[in-house]
Amino acid sequence: MTVTNTAATAVASEAGPADPATVRRPRRGSAIGKRVWNAAGAGLVVAALAGIWEGYKALGRAFDDVLPGTRIGFPVATDDMSMPHVWSILGALVEPARRSDPTTLGSYLLGETGVTLREAFYGLLAGSSLGLLLAVLFLHLVPLSKGLMPWLVASQTVPLVAIAPMIVIWGGQAGAPPWVAVTGIAAYLAFFPVTINALRGLQSPPKVQLDFMRSVGANRRQVLGWLRVPAALPFVFAGLRLAATASVVGAIVGELSAGTGRGIGRAILTFAYYYSNGPEKLYAAVLVAAAAGIVFVQALALVERLALRHRQTR
Amino acid sequence: MSEAAIIAVRGVNKEFTGGNRSVTALRDIDLTIDRGEFVSLLGPSGCGKSTLLRILADLTEPTSGTVSLNGKTPRAARTDRDYGMVFQQAGLFEWRTVQRNVELPLQVAGVDKQTRRAKAQEMLELVRLTDFSRHLPWQLSGGMQQRVAIARALSADPEILFMDEPLGALDEMNRERLQGELLRIWSDTRTTVVFVTHSISEAVFLSSRIVVMSARPGRIAASIDVDLPYPRTAATRTTEAFFAKVTEVRTALHGVPAEQEVR
Repeated sequence: MTVTNTAATAVASEAGPADPATVRRPRRGSAIGKRVWNAAGAGLVVAALAGIWEGYKALGRAFDDVLPGTRIGFPVATDDMSMPHVWSILGALVEPARRSDPTTLGSYLLGETGVTLREAFYGLLAGSSLGLLLAVLFLHLVPLSKGLMPWLVASQTVPLVAIAPMIVIWGGQAGAPPWVAVTGIAAYLAFFPVTINALRGLQSPPKVQLDFMRSVGANRRQVLGWLRVPAALPFVFAGLRLAATASVVGAIVGELSAGTGRGIGRAILTFAYYYSNGPEKLYAAVLVAAAAGIVFVQALALVERLALRHRQTR
Repeated sequence: MSEAAIIAVRGVNKEFTGGNRSVTALRDIDLTIDRGEFVSLLGPSGCGKSTLLRILADLTEPTSGTVSLNGKTPRAARTDRDYGMVFQQAGLFEWRTVQRNVELPLQVAGVDKQTRRAKAQEMLELVRLTDFSRHLPWQLSGGMQQRVAIARALSADPEILFMDEPLGALDEMNRERLQGELLRIWSDTRTTVVFVTHSISEAVFLSSRIVVMSARPGRIAASIDVDLPYPRTAATRTTEAFFAKVTEVRTALHGVPAEQEVR
């Protein structure tokens, strides 16, 4: 998504008393139509994925998991243990999660997802605040960015499974509850894309705008607040989207390392452990986790649309 | 420096150094501009006319020599907003409405909201864009954006207006229309204008004086008074006197040794 200030294609008349009504405006009617199409498209993709799953499973059942006329086996077995039917996965959501407890699996998973999303949200908040702060620091202290950037890159290439237990242990030693450590892990993954994109955005104003601010005697703070930061917003949101997905991943992986019984990551681990008792439960948990991630990122996209609604997008 | 002088340039040199090469952009520039003048800096590309303007505006520092603006250093004049500047690209802030773009210099100056709003309205009236105050820059054509840039440059009531090829990106018809607008604005506001261009006819139509520059190194080759009476209109462009002046300026440019690609 780019924002430009050229108006080479604007149809407005040059003459003095031009009619404002003839000036190009965003077409709102078609935007709603577009949204309906997008929703229909998304639904279609979900239906197609379910269709492929069931189609593959039906083929495998018909040919006993071997390509007909050959001895080549199907890459994934299609029995109910390996690939439960879509309807049994969905059905599991409305069944009780445990024998002794009437709570359905669906509401149990939603509860755990809520825990995870809260961790991811706080992690995103902390991580992106840190990311923005670093970007502004790097903008004004170039030597600092030169010295620190390789370490930031290194921090993101270290495998998360190695970092996560360390953060959990440090958190435990500091006496913080487990969810704080999980939030820390989410923040650890979230800050980096925000830093990179925000720094890029802060450097994005063209020379003519910077020259103009100088020509009116603007100080550094005014240049930052009225030019660089607003110009950086589309970049920041691009970074936030990446950070949002990363923070959900961070929260889930963090839960695996943390000694807490809560969260969708924990639920996935538990259902993986008891896989043979009900494979559809693991799939259901993964499905809910994926849906939660989508909702999380879409909520952010909504904020972005609101924040950038006045800008031209191409 | 005479009483009327508002800009005085004395012995200004500018060298650009890159690696072990150094290019002389300006050599021994002496220039005095009086209050209320409309002076064009005219010359081929590479003659340093934009560099000279940027030195006046304290966007670039001279290698040697002194500049005085309104009796101050260029830096003091800049931070006091003694001049306003219009660039080749409008460079409006795309997230601000036309009105809020025009208010920006006043906002930097710390002027309160109400005064800002009134002043911006007045400026938009001056450039005849009152109906577009709530529009966003991308909704305007290039010529309208440039008029907003002029309103923005004038909103803090500067005594000097610097214009760096402001009409260069426009098509011929819009350029001529805006030239007329510019003369009207100049006569309404009585500011001193320093206008960089490489168009001879544009310089002749607008200016009260043309400073002809030559390239490699950038020097002042001639200073030509344009004594065509104001107000100048479309009819001015077809007069005998206009053509004579264009020829005179062209001859001055061609007398320049390193003359090339002059439009």
